[in-house]
Amino acid sequence: MAFRDFLKRFSRQRWFTPKTCRPLSLTFSQFREVLKANNQALEIIADMGEKLSGDYLFDLRYVEATVEEMIAAMRRAIITINLLTLDKCVALHGIFAPMEARVRAILIRRDDRDGPPLLWLAEVETRHWPLVGGKAAHLSELLHNPKVKVPEGFVITTSFFHDLLDNNGICPEFDLFERMLTEPEINEDELERLRRTLREKVLQAEPPNGFLEKLTVVIERLAAIGGPPLFLAVRSSAQEEDMDFSFAGQFHSVLQVPSQAEAVYRAYLQVAASLFAAKAIHYRRQVFPEGCPMSIAACCQRMIQAAASGIIYSLDPMAPGSRNMVAVGALGQGQAVVEGQVPTDFFRISRGEPPRVLERVLAAKHDALRPKGGDDGGLTMQKVSAGQAEAPCLDEPTLLALAAVAMHLETFFKRPQDIEWTLDPRGDLYILQSRPLLITESAREKSLLSEQLDGYELVASEAGRVAQQGIGAGPAYWVETLADLKDFPEGAVLISHRDSSQFVQVMHRAAAIVTEVGSPTSHMATLCRELRVPCLVGVSEIMAKVANGEEITVDAEDRRIYRGKAVELLTYQATTSMDLHMAPEFRLLRRILRDVSRLNLVDPLMQEFRPEGCKTFHDVLRYIHETAVLELVELGRDENCLPGGLARRLALPIQAGILAIDIGGGIAPDVSSDQVPFTAIRSIPFRAILQGMLFPGAWHQETMPVSFRDMMHSMMTTPQDTLSGQYTGHNIAIISENYVNLCFRFGYHFNIIDAFCHEVERDNHIYFRFLGGATDIAKRSRRATLIATILEAFDFSVKTRGDLVIARTGNLARSEMERTLDILGRLIGFTRQLDVQMTDDRVVARYAEAFLMGDYGVVAEK
Amino acid sequence: MNQTNTRLLVVDDEPIVGKRLKQVFDKIGFAVETYTDSAAALAAIAEKSFDIVVTDLKMEGIDGVEVLKRVRAMNPKTRVIIITGYASPDTAELAEQEGVFAFLAKPFRLDELKEVIFRAMEPDRIKS
Repeated sequence: MAFRDFLKRFSRQRWFTPKTCRPLSLTFSQFREVLKANNQALEIIADMGEKLSGDYLFDLRYVEATVEEMIAAMRRAIITINLLTLDKCVALHGIFAPMEARVRAILIRRDDRDGPPLLWLAEVETRHWPLVGGKAAHLSELLHNPKVKVPEGFVITTSFFHDLLDNNGICPEFDLFERMLTEPEINEDELERLRRTLREKVLQAEPPNGFLEKLTVVIERLAAIGGPPLFLAVRSSAQEEDMDFSFAGQFHSVLQVPSQAEAVYRAYLQVAASLFAAKAIHYRRQVFPEGCPMSIAACCQRMIQAAASGIIYSLDPMAPGSRNMVAVGALGQGQAVVEGQVPTDFFRISRGEPPRVLERVLAAKHDALRPKGGDDGGLTMQKVSAGQAEAPCLDEPTLLALAAVAMHLETFFKRPQDIEWTLDPRGDLYILQSRPLLITESAREKSLLSEQLDGYELVASEAGRVAQQGIGAGPAYWVETLADLKDFPEGAVLISHRDSSQFVQVMHRAAAIVTEVGSPTSHMATLCRELRVPCLVGVSEIMAKVANGEEITVDAEDRRIYRGKAVELLTYQATTSMDLHMAPEFRLLRRILRDVSRLNLVDPLMQEFRPEGCKTFHDVLRYIHETAVLELVELGRDENCLPGGLARRLALPIQAGILAIDIGGGIAPDVSSDQVPFTAIRSIPFRAILQGMLFPGAWHQETMPVSFRDMMHSMMTTPQDTLSGQYTGHNIAIISENYVNLCFRFGYHFNIIDAFCHEVERDNHIYFRFLGGATDIAKRSRRATLIATILEAFDFSVKTRGDLVIARTGNLARSEMERTLDILGRLIGFTRQLDVQMTDDRVVARYAEAFLMGDYGVVAEK
Repeated sequence: MNQTNTRLLVVDDEPIVGKRLKQVFDKIGFAVETYTDSAAALAAIAEKSFDIVVTDLKMEGIDGVEVLKRVRAMNPKTRVIIITGYASPDTAELAEQEGVFAFLAKPFRLDELKEVIFRAMEPDRIKS
């Protein structure tokens, strides 16, 4: 009894949320308003994103003006969704307010000031990047990469840095200093005086109240992971460091720091004060001649006991055309290598599959930087035994493993990398830093590029549209269903008929993405820009021209695709891609988009799909869109709310028993009779579904022979079992020119299709829900599995629970929408009574296969 | 798309513009020179001829329309393209009178500029 009550409550929640009856046309026009506002915001975001693709020229004025427009559109979207849902989404106002504040802070370059003083490295998210600095941001990304080992740690944030200045009364001098750097004529003496003052004051700064206690907590957390003895490496992570400029060696690092809060704090002060070191200021003025606000964070990680350490470049910067890697290494800690204190072994490695060691130049490594050994930490140069000094610091397998990591990181970050590595005594390789490798090449070689490229066969030119600029090469990998993503190889070019935001799963591994349909404003395109994956969309028939596994080069700048690996083009890319990202307008726009365009709520079927799960503008818009669709889905459910007089019977050659309610442009105006023929249907999505239902063979007229047991089951369970017994009433379609909400009540199961379809791809959606059946739960669940299998094959995002199937898709061009809806129409007919036949699990596979092959007759064969 | 030997000069006080256009047109084989100062650009034009000049409208000192006038005076065959974030109908008309080949509003797609430039390179193009 209790269980049945539970079921009732469960089903009531899902199916019978009591609500007031509003006029359908009002609900629908409010839905349109939501779409409109949502689209405006999305278009602005997409527009900004497209600017970032590298395909445009824009200036700072553009960025400022566009941000204001975007915020206004976001507010409209939130207001309209609350009108539609009768204030079910009021929480969005409160959720959006801090997002807006953050973006405004970015516009005035103040986004490094608001946040926690300490962040656990593994918990750093994109929104924290301005707080943790470039180095820590990169390392936190790598911490989640299973192919790379990174020492655990935490970050003392830039927000703490500003608190420190504030608490110690250093702010006025700091502000003056920043201002001076933006002036065209700088008083050098004054700047020098200020620099020294700031440096001294920071070195002597007192910690804000309670900070050392907080520091102790994170240090203890770190100790609990690796066990004692714990020493820390406290490294600078300046705002712009590693992201676009190398800032190599400009700031201070303190190594082998004892694990007491006081010691870590003192080390931190040295790191923070190095923001005002003479050499750092000099470098900064070179790369930011127009000035640029900067603060500094410190990345505090567990020290790795180093057997050997060094650097590897994923591409030889002296000969980028050679497509080789170079590595150097020495014994002990790597600081001695980066500061050039010890002779190093040199290795040249080919980037082939697999990589090969081409050259070894070994040094006599008589000294190594190693821990002093005391409790107070510190490193010192120590003698190496004669035998060890002559041997290579890395054996061949380790060197090749390192090379594989370097190539992986290049694919991951989409640029050649300069990587600091260390090897612990157990033979585990750790990555301490990975940053873009700066390469310059003579202009002479560049001008020959177009001639060199003549040697490659052009597979496509003037191909599609650029979603993200860049150049990528690798074996083509066809993705025909989302399941193919599981085996996506490292460094491959993803080729697909249509685009999908699900591709995000492999973007870090992809060299480039090419799709036959899709637009540069899709979710996928946004993700490509965020992760800088070169991407062309709308390249027609590429799958016919490129074989699965065949090596190709995608030039998503000039919209060309070459057969083979166009090495010259890749070299060109390595030597030029940096320039673009250095411009202040690019950096600003990128920061804004990082907060705005990332999509975390990818799957509406996931738990976190709720207002509180929204982290970016894009999330909010996604949530609003989904909520608006769900609001519509409920439209036709409650027959009590439907205006009886408007319903007109469809005259179809099949016995579907559908009543249509036209809320605008869904039925040809000149049809006067109550019996509406198929030819009079003007609703684009409804017509497509009907077309599928009418497809020869798809709709089975025969009644399935129901077994005695099934019959008993349906009788016994009605009406108590609310999950299967209640769907009596009409099959109702609420339609307009671009919309359909179709509710089928086929005796024992309930099926909703809600679809919107017009020329703007982004607006288009299909929502499909199926529940119930006449037979026992095992058979019904099998039918659910069958439906899920088929829908997945058509790229729906699907969730099943027992006999409930929820599937969604969208963001498709009109023609794709019609095709998909046609398939759904066939599916409705095909599976209508199938649960009776679902006697065992093998039948599921056989019927799925038959449906996909277009063999709809299999149902009747039995 | 090999355009070797086409001589292109870009003048814009925002360094990003020259840097970016150089990147794009270098790649397809143009000989590109970029300037952030219009006087220096005009000095270069006086020394050798360019097929195409891309100039910003609003610049310190000599502005885009003035650059257009002087370039046309020095070499009427040179096509001049003005790029701008603030085109008023008046300036557009003035530039038309002075024989501007095309006006392009910022922000624009590099492809759009490429297209305009390719159009400007068509040999028998007569623009009145």
